[in-house]
Amino acid sequence: MLLEAQSIVKSFGGFRAVDGTNLTLHEHELIGLIGPNGAGKSTFFNCLAGDALPDAGSIHFRGREITRMPPHDRARLGLARTFQVPIVFDGMTVRENVMVGAFLRRPHRHAAAAKADEVLAFTGLAEQANQQVTTLGTPGRKRLEIARALATEPVVLLLDEALAGLTAEEIETAIELVRRIHASGITLIVVEHIMEVIHRLTQRVIVLHQGRALAEGAPAEVTRDPRVIEAYLGRRAGRHRP
Amino acid sequence: MKSLPRVLLVAVAGVLVAAPFLSDNPFYQRIAALTALAAISASAWNLIGGYGGQVSFGHSVYFGLGAYSSLLAFTKLGVPPIAGAPLGVLASFVLSVIVGLPSFRLRGHYFSMATIAIAALAEVLVTNWAFAGGAIGLMGPANARSLADLLFRSALPYYALFLVVLGSLLALTYLMQRGRMGFYLRALGSGERAAESLGVPIRRYKLYALLISGAFTSLAGSLYVVMIGFIDPNSGFGILVSVNMVVMSALGGAGTLFGPLVGAVILVPLEEMTNALLGGGGSGAAYVVYGAAIMLLARFSPGGLAQWWSLLAGKGRRGAA
Amino acid sequence: MIFLQLCADGLLLGAVYALFSSGLTLIWGMMNVVNFAHGDFVMVAMYVAFFAFTLLHVGPLIFVPLAAITLFMLGVVVYFALVRHVMRGPMLGQIISTFGLALFLRYAALWAFSANFVSLPDTLVGGVYDVAGLRLSASRLLAGATALVLTLGMHLVLTRTDLGSRMLAVSEDRTAAALVGIRPDPMQALAWGIGAASTGVAGALIALFFYVSPEVGNSFTLLAFVTVCLGGFGSVPGALLAGLAIGVIQSLSAYFLGPSTKDVVVYALFIVLLWVRPQGLLGRA
Repeated sequence: MLLEAQSIVKSFGGFRAVDGTNLTLHEHELIGLIGPNGAGKSTFFNCLAGDALPDAGSIHFRGREITRMPPHDRARLGLARTFQVPIVFDGMTVRENVMVGAFLRRPHRHAAAAKADEVLAFTGLAEQANQQVTTLGTPGRKRLEIARALATEPVVLLLDEALAGLTAEEIETAIELVRRIHASGITLIVVEHIMEVIHRLTQRVIVLHQGRALAEGAPAEVTRDPRVIEAYLGRRAGRHRP
Repeated sequence: MKSLPRVLLVAVAGVLVAAPFLSDNPFYQRIAALTALAAISASAWNLIGGYGGQVSFGHSVYFGLGAYSSLLAFTKLGVPPIAGAPLGVLASFVLSVIVGLPSFRLRGHYFSMATIAIAALAEVLVTNWAFAGGAIGLMGPANARSLADLLFRSALPYYALFLVVLGSLLALTYLMQRGRMGFYLRALGSGERAAESLGVPIRRYKLYALLISGAFTSLAGSLYVVMIGFIDPNSGFGILVSVNMVVMSALGGAGTLFGPLVGAVILVPLEEMTNALLGGGGSGAAYVVYGAAIMLLARFSPGGLAQWWSLLAGKGRRGAA
Repeated sequence: MIFLQLCADGLLLGAVYALFSSGLTLIWGMMNVVNFAHGDFVMVAMYVAFFAFTLLHVGPLIFVPLAAITLFMLGVVVYFALVRHVMRGPMLGQIISTFGLALFLRYAALWAFSANFVSLPDTLVGGVYDVAGLRLSASRLLAGATALVLTLGMHLVLTRTDLGSRMLAVSEDRTAAALVGIRPDPMQALAWGIGAASTGVAGALIALFFYVSPEVGNSFTLLAFVTVCLGGFGSVPGALLAGLAIGVIQSLSAYFLGPSTKDVVVYALFIVLLWVRPQGLLGRA
């Protein structure tokens, strides 16, 4: 067991965004985290990533407790994440952006640059390596997010809606990239809204609703589950099987 | 073709740097020395304010620390003022740790405000501290007791000394900028959350930048009193000392290697010449212009002249292609 | 007895601090831009009051509203000419923009009026009232009472009126507010106008009993920061409580520790506050 979250609770003001959610992640899995808006996905995700500190519950990663560990230490341990809205380091080139990630394991400039070039080639950004990062459009920025995270040589990669806002063609490329990342030995958790992506990529899916795990299982099962349908579409839709 | 502007730039720079040695105009030499000194402070500020994105409006604390350490060492211990410089640097390290560690938890604006308060506090405290000369300040040696007192009649030796320090600082900045620290600083300055998720220990790197920045600013303060021979709370800790560092860096381009130097080369001669033309009263007008300049910079070109330069250079490249 | 007297004086002055600090907290809460020139706005207002009196021979009944209107216009102009643009740009630009404004105002005043202090005559709002054994000067009473009423008024407008809730919506979440049809620009410009107007009133009132000089801006700015920090960023009631508290603290320390320490205590308090509890008494974290 690579990553385990137990009974995570997180409130904002009076509102319980995450209300006792569990998650287990085994080596080499590629699992999905889905749920309607407001289900608590982002908050739970941020607890895993270290951006938010849970009010209760615990998180263990590679045998160590990381519940209150800051994000930079989690990265050091091998847990990387991308941001839903890409954050680029403007004023730097695409390669330099990726080097920021590479420096984690390679303190020296040449080694970091070499690693960055390797990752850029892997993610298909090699041609834009010397461009200012601000010239990248949304799909490029999303790929940059992934490239930077990969440069930290993670064991687990958390992708936060990395495919949102892409065209059908771009989604194909992105799916293929995620598959290659998985094939290279990295374990993944993918948060997504796009069901097609979930079906094609993931082996196991967790559905969050109102801060709790509502259902868990293979994508095909879970999306037929009436409770899940109800959660997404409302009570009456759940009564009628499609 | 692309290398021609660069070669030209280096040649011009070389001429500018060498000129004071070849001229025998003392006014001109003095301006050169003051410019080099201002460039040291501004380049030091640039480490934390430009590269690190933590805008300090209170860097005068470090300048004052260095200046007062030097003259206190002279007046109380009788040693040459420059011998007090290491004390100033040490004190600046302590201050950086005490000030930096807590305030780096704060968001950008809070940090800037804290620096204003700290500098204001320092100025008031020193003004009321008789040991440090109170409102009157301290003076350096009137006559050179040895070469170590660094009392020269011409501004030229000072210029040479300041150039050496400036050169070292710029070299250090260049190495830093190319290496991990430079990348981490720039990353945390433009995207702290993302930087942290990539393993950058934010507070630690901000502190490193502040330690080095503070140390060189303190050294600049010591060098200032070595040349000028006098310090008081206003010239040591006053807000204008901080403002100068910020304006010069921002004008030339904060977060670039030569930005602060360019800013100093433009502003120091300008300020000295307006002072000479309008007498002492001219300095008030200079700061009105500074204020307006900062607003214009912020509004139209926050990256300073460096932003213009790269735009021009970019256009040139496209033209050649 | 001396203690009560000091507290009374402190509360009256503190109410004025509360007024202009409410303006700062409103601006800051609305758009995360810190107005480093806030104290210099107060200084400008003081000069407006002074010149209105010496050149136009009008009393506070005229020059207080006059200063309010003048500063309101200044605030709106600053928003449209400067703030609106820098908000979209890099952090460095945002931070130095209002700092540049502060320098500009301060040194323009220094150049135009020189560093000499001027002041309005004591007799302008004359008289000393004896209230339950405490001696309260009429000018300070007027200032304190007016400031208190206006600060409470500001709070009521923000929380009880339609306009107020629209402004608060923009401050909570600019994008969401835009999505429901509230245009952020006019709201933010209004915030700057009201925030500046608060300095207008405060400055004109302070001029009744303080000397006027171009240099006062810096300490008023820091005072406003401390008050906003203590009261909680974005909270007008917080600014009110904090302003009163700061006024009393200043008054007591000036008497017991000496007049030159009155600023020191405030700055030191500020630094401690930033480190221990930056969100203040009533603020959002």
